[in-house]
Amino acid sequence: MVKHLFTLIWNKKKQNALLLAEMLISFLVLFAVFSLLVYFFRNYKKPMGLDYDDVWVITYSQTNTNTSSDSLVQFYQTVKQNLLSLPQVKSVSLSSANFPFSNSHMQNGIIHNNKNIGSINTFDTEDSYASILNLKLVEGRWFNAADITYKNRPVVINESLRAEFFGTGKAVGELMGDGKEEDKRKIIGVVKDAKMQGEYTNPGYAMYQRVDTGGIKWIGHMLLKVAPGADAAFEAKLYKNLANSMKSANVEIDRLGNKLKSANNFALVPMIVLSIICTFLIVNVALGLFGVLWYNINKRRGEIGLRRAVGASGQSISVQLVTESILLASLAVIIGSFFAIQFPLLNVFDLPAGIYLTALLLAIIFVYVLVLVCSLYPGRQAAAIYPAAALHEE
Amino acid sequence: MLLNYFKIALAVLKRRKFFTFISLFGISFTLTILLVMTAFIAKIIGDNYPDKKRSRSLYINNIEERGKESMQSGLLSFYFLDHYVRSLKTPVKVAISSGFNGTNTYVNNKKIALNYKYTNADFWEVLDHEFLEGKPFTAQQIANGELVTVISEDIKKSYFGNIGSVVGKYIEADNVQYRVCGVVKNVPITLYMIYSDIYLPYTVSKIDYKGTGYQGNYTGILLAKSKADIPAIQKEYDAMIAKLPMQSKKFTKIYSHADTFIRGYVRTGNEENSGVTIALLALGIFVLIILALPTLNLVNINITRIMERSSEIGVRKAFGASSSILVYQFIVENLILTIIGGLIGLVMTAIIIYFINQADLIAYLKLSINYKVLGIGLLTCLVFGLLSGVYPAWRMSRLNVVNALKAQ
Repeated sequence: MVKHLFTLIWNKKKQNALLLAEMLISFLVLFAVFSLLVYFFRNYKKPMGLDYDDVWVITYSQTNTNTSSDSLVQFYQTVKQNLLSLPQVKSVSLSSANFPFSNSHMQNGIIHNNKNIGSINTFDTEDSYASILNLKLVEGRWFNAADITYKNRPVVINESLRAEFFGTGKAVGELMGDGKEEDKRKIIGVVKDAKMQGEYTNPGYAMYQRVDTGGIKWIGHMLLKVAPGADAAFEAKLYKNLANSMKSANVEIDRLGNKLKSANNFALVPMIVLSIICTFLIVNVALGLFGVLWYNINKRRGEIGLRRAVGASGQSISVQLVTESILLASLAVIIGSFFAIQFPLLNVFDLPAGIYLTALLLAIIFVYVLVLVCSLYPGRQAAAIYPAAALHEE
Repeated sequence: MLLNYFKIALAVLKRRKFFTFISLFGISFTLTILLVMTAFIAKIIGDNYPDKKRSRSLYINNIEERGKESMQSGLLSFYFLDHYVRSLKTPVKVAISSGFNGTNTYVNNKKIALNYKYTNADFWEVLDHEFLEGKPFTAQQIANGELVTVISEDIKKSYFGNIGSVVGKYIEADNVQYRVCGVVKNVPITLYMIYSDIYLPYTVSKIDYKGTGYQGNYTGILLAKSKADIPAIQKEYDAMIAKLPMQSKKFTKIYSHADTFIRGYVRTGNEENSGVTIALLALGIFVLIILALPTLNLVNINITRIMERSSEIGVRKAFGASSSILVYQFIVENLILTIIGGLIGLVMTAIIIYFINQADLIAYLKLSINYKVLGIGLLTCLVFGLLSGVYPAWRMSRLNVVNALKAQ
């Protein structure tokens, strides 16, 4: 049966080649869009891992790179004291430029146990950072004042990095790195993965370290936990307070909630635009397929009439036509899958293979459903052909 | 003759309304996507407010210092632009401005987030901002370190409300009172080297602009006397960069370019690969797929429609019409179809652009359908019509007369 259908398809290879090409390109477009959607969806399902309500971020220009580190530490102490004297300010922490939803990345590479990870997001933090963002500690502890002197720089890592470097073994208290002994970092705690760049992004690997006196001159951001209900009036007051204590800096205040909105848009807008375009393309293809199949069936009235005359049921006629389309779609899917499967095999864009495979499966199902829907109605029409009428036309 | 073709084409379009609908749907929607994209690109790259002298300007927005193990790249320092770049002989003027940074200002407990930018006096000469009132600050004012500012119309509205002239009034930003000396028409944020809400003299910058490092927070625009001077300036600039002393032992080579607008716009700041190729490649693949699917679809539909007309073709061939005439006729018919689809697409584009402008997605970016967008739309229509018409027409012209007539 199938072999016979292949013969029928082969006999009209020119016409079918075009249909095949159309299905193939649709399949590839679907695969691309589904990959993106699956990626975002999987990220969206992961827990946020941090709180951003009532957290404000202060950005200021560093103008004091010429002052010594010690006087800078003093200076920040004064600034922080001034801020904390305001009743609505709960706590303050300096932060590197990659504070949550900032769309800025600072990554380091570390080799440990012959495993090389080149993209570890590194955050400069202070003792109150974890409580401001409500990062959840799983093991060990967060930084405290005692960490100011150390032999190996203390760091807190996230669960993903822990799993990668230490598996299920002991992590807290271990040294991380493979360089000189004093360059290794000492792990003091593990926190839950936090989506630091927005709800649709992957937490990735993260490492938190305490701002040290050498790095303090490069810091240009502060995170602030404020009391609920702090309004614009308070913000203006806060701004004045800052401008007075940091005379030589330009200051900007923003809320993490606002930052999250724009960080999410960064993912959502392309996603929505692509989905709309993809939907239109698919509707277009569906209409085209439908039209062509319908027309072909009208042309094959003679053949169908003959089959009915020698005793085929209407059911088997429509099954034949639908199967023909499904076979054609299968060819497109096989060729398309050959291209698509290269993505997880070659590890393109460093995405987990699961994303590509899910997208591949979705695309295959979608193409079949599409072809099925487009060929069902013409198939039913063909089944309704009266053999006498069809043969009479001949 | 053409009129006849036109009549025939319309008659055929009316014959199978469902097919006509599919064709028109495909064409108009594809064109809409392309036109909206073109409108964006035309606005970002083609609209030359406020750099009207774009054809004789060169843009400098990156310097990269590279060594065996280290690499540092970013915007340039004021000192570099002021000291090295301004010493070039060929350029007439050098506009120097900082990147835009945000700050807040508060009016009656309402927060306004605004971006500020420091500029030199030539900035106003090189660029042609449209001054709605007042005028730019002068070199003298800059030298005196006067606290003056040029603001955008948008900030005027949100800070002062709807009042008449605000020249001479004070605006507070960063806890400093600046006297407004001019108000300019908004610049879209996509022109990141020029966009700002308020412009300030570089001498009032709180950031030290006297440091002698090469990297900093500034960009430059060189103005040539005429278009012919552009290559000479680029040569001179490259020679100047080649002679620059290294600032540290870590580095062995310095890269920096004076680019024409497009190249400068998509430069990624990485010497190893230019942004132009990546941007064009991505755009190309996207357009190709957007075009390929509907084209294939049209070809499919057109073939089925032509085969329906085999009797008409047979009769015409029997009476001596040559293949080329038939091909010509069919392509014309197809072009008529695509142009109708194109018109529908144009209407849809207008609607979508209206909504995009209403939504105000990107600060101060107002899209419009101008003659460039129209031209590209028309061109796409033609390409579309030809692409989807040629193969079916060729198939049709090879029909055998006897078979074509017998099919009836």
